[in-house]
Amino acid sequence: MIEKGRISTGQMVILLYPTVIATAILLVPGITGKFAGNDMWLSPIWASLAGCITILIMAQLHNRFPRQTIIQYSEEIIGKIPGKLIGFIILFFFFHSNGLVLREYGEFVVGNFLPTTPLVVVIGSMIFVSGLAVRGGIEVMARSAQVFVPIVLFLFILIVILLIPDLEPANLLPFFEKGLIPSLKGAIVPTTWFLQLFAITFILPVLKKKEGGMKWGMITVFLIMVTLVLSNLFTMLLFGKLTPTFTYPIMEAARYISIADFIQHLESIVMAIWVSGTFIKISVFYYVIAVGTAQLLNLQDYRPIVFPIGGLLAVMGLWTAPNLQQIQHFLITTMPFYAVIVQIILPLLLLIAAVIFKKNTKKIN
Amino acid sequence: MRCIIRKKTVKRMAEFLMCVIMPLILSGCWDRIEVNDLAIVVATGLDKTEEGEIELSVQIVNPKSMGSKSEGGQGGGKQNTVEKTTGKTIFDARSKLQEKVSRKLFWGHNHIIFIGKKLAEEGIRKHLDFFSRHPFTRLRASVFMTNEKPDELLKIEPDLERSSAEVAKDLAMLKVGLSVTAKDLLDMLSGEKRGAALPMIQIEREPPNTEGLKIYGAAIFNNGKMTDQLDDKEVRGLLWIRDEIDTASVTINPEEGEELISFHIFDATSKLIPSIENGNWKIKIEIVSEDDIVENETKLDMMNPKIIEKLKEQLEKQIVERVKLALEIVQKEMKVDVLGFEEAFHRHYPDEWRKANWEEVFPEIEVEVVSEVKIRRPGRSTAPQGVPENEVIGN
Repeated sequence: MIEKGRISTGQMVILLYPTVIATAILLVPGITGKFAGNDMWLSPIWASLAGCITILIMAQLHNRFPRQTIIQYSEEIIGKIPGKLIGFIILFFFFHSNGLVLREYGEFVVGNFLPTTPLVVVIGSMIFVSGLAVRGGIEVMARSAQVFVPIVLFLFILIVILLIPDLEPANLLPFFEKGLIPSLKGAIVPTTWFLQLFAITFILPVLKKKEGGMKWGMITVFLIMVTLVLSNLFTMLLFGKLTPTFTYPIMEAARYISIADFIQHLESIVMAIWVSGTFIKISVFYYVIAVGTAQLLNLQDYRPIVFPIGGLLAVMGLWTAPNLQQIQHFLITTMPFYAVIVQIILPLLLLIAAVIFKKNTKKIN
Repeated sequence: MRCIIRKKTVKRMAEFLMCVIMPLILSGCWDRIEVNDLAIVVATGLDKTEEGEIELSVQIVNPKSMGSKSEGGQGGGKQNTVEKTTGKTIFDARSKLQEKVSRKLFWGHNHIIFIGKKLAEEGIRKHLDFFSRHPFTRLRASVFMTNEKPDELLKIEPDLERSSAEVAKDLAMLKVGLSVTAKDLLDMLSGEKRGAALPMIQIEREPPNTEGLKIYGAAIFNNGKMTDQLDDKEVRGLLWIRDEIDTASVTINPEEGEELISFHIFDATSKLIPSIENGNWKIKIEIVSEDDIVENETKLDMMNPKIIEKLKEQLEKQIVERVKLALEIVQKEMKVDVLGFEEAFHRHYPDEWRKANWEEVFPEIEVEVVSEVKIRRPGRSTAPQGVPENEVIGN
């Protein structure tokens, strides 16, 4: 095993939660609102099914190969060359996704807060910090998540509570104006976010206890779903049909808060949520890429390649799209197919192959 | 041995260097702005010139006078400065404004938008986009329509508050008239054929030698263009229908005489209940309010349940009349839906709503107004004050 550290199931939840949430409350509510209208709060519930499926497949594979990641057992299941090819596809997907995440983060910070700061500085400093965390190993990442996630949660709940006076419950009506179809359509983009729980394949092997991985994975899906339903619901209740017209609806909601002329201008809180959440998210993806690459190339240690990968990631973030419009277009049109193929269909085929050929880890271990 | 020591010192130095370099990265130098390089815009006025250009006026806080109030007003001079310029768009005008303002214009604290008459008549929709797109503007800004020049309003030096922006903001918060933020306005305008209503504000020079602002009436917009104006009385009815009455006073004349009774309404809610029966569009407006007696000119005993029952009926009638007055004008004459009827039908009858031609349906909707008043307390006195006991009626 390349990774020597071991984390608890609770730490796994706390790592995976921001891995989905951090960027899912950036662009996604606007996109969901565009398709689902005022049923947008339902969409995360549909989308969470995809998260359950991913966790289920990954847990089944994990039971067969308890101390290995998908990069390693794909070789065992379908042979060396095809296995390496699948590993490469998965790593490239993560590489590309992380570039997108970095860019979304960068666009958000530059677009809203630091208009004259170059994008490369924002992205570069984030990748540098994440690189340090990744070099520290999974335990360090889990602990930093333990520090950040409670803060993120607290601030998120704070915003939700402070929004209550401005909400208009009637905005929810009419339910299902055009049937269930709009809310299902709206679920497509959040689905790709739930699929990111695929990263659990790199965390399951390093759990202290072997049992409970799947159960806690499902709990993570549930927590993420609740958070997304809440955030969609509250922006919907506040902005009504205006919701899809904003780039970052939750950001707008936080800016709208004004209580007693005193508690206002809270966008910095949203910024704090996103920066610390995205830090965890980028670190987890980064970790997957670094460890995965080391496993793919049969390296002894993944640490030496962390910073070189970081450089590539920063470049990926800068080159992945010319502007925010292109990113959004990509997320709506290409990403759902891309994500489903890599994160559901590939592992599912691997699982089927493993069942048919009765492949398990050799008992030596 | 020596090698190990050197390694250690190199590591130490590297750590030290990191600590020094980190703060430099963290500070975000590119976007560092000192407060004394900022011109903080607290209110914006928008109007159109004769040539069709946007006329942008801004009220900027004068930092020199900040806090001078407590020092007995020495130094400082004016609390605010007002600047004005024209341009093709708001941002274009802003750029031109920047040419004559020595500090960087900062829109993050803009709480007020005054819209001039000419702009209102030519359409406001396209100019609101700036307030929802620029990274620093706020959707919470209160929007007012004014028949006067917006920059005149900005120049007012009120007695009680620091600036006219603050007066307007506080008036909006008191909810004496309509209270509409940029978000609400965008929401109203994005309805398919829905109208919008904005509170109107004007300069008040009464008593002489004082300057202030006053909310008076409302401007009605159809398709983003101002078409009509309501006076104060009609706005009250509008507020009742839109469930925006916060506190209000109602005065009735119980005995057909000169003596009046005033009530303070401290809680009021109204509900729109739409229904469609055999193709007849109906809406029921249910108003429930809780009132206290605050002033009694008559000789009626305020503790007599029978009298209170009568007053209650009169009060209910009075509220229904107010609402009907507004309905008559808005629904039948102006034919612009600022009452929230369309939304009510959309929410409860989405299929019928989609098929209907709202502009035709709206004036024909049958409206039933039901008002329920709960008189809760007589106030601090029971019987009318200053009246001999034998003259009190209903004792």
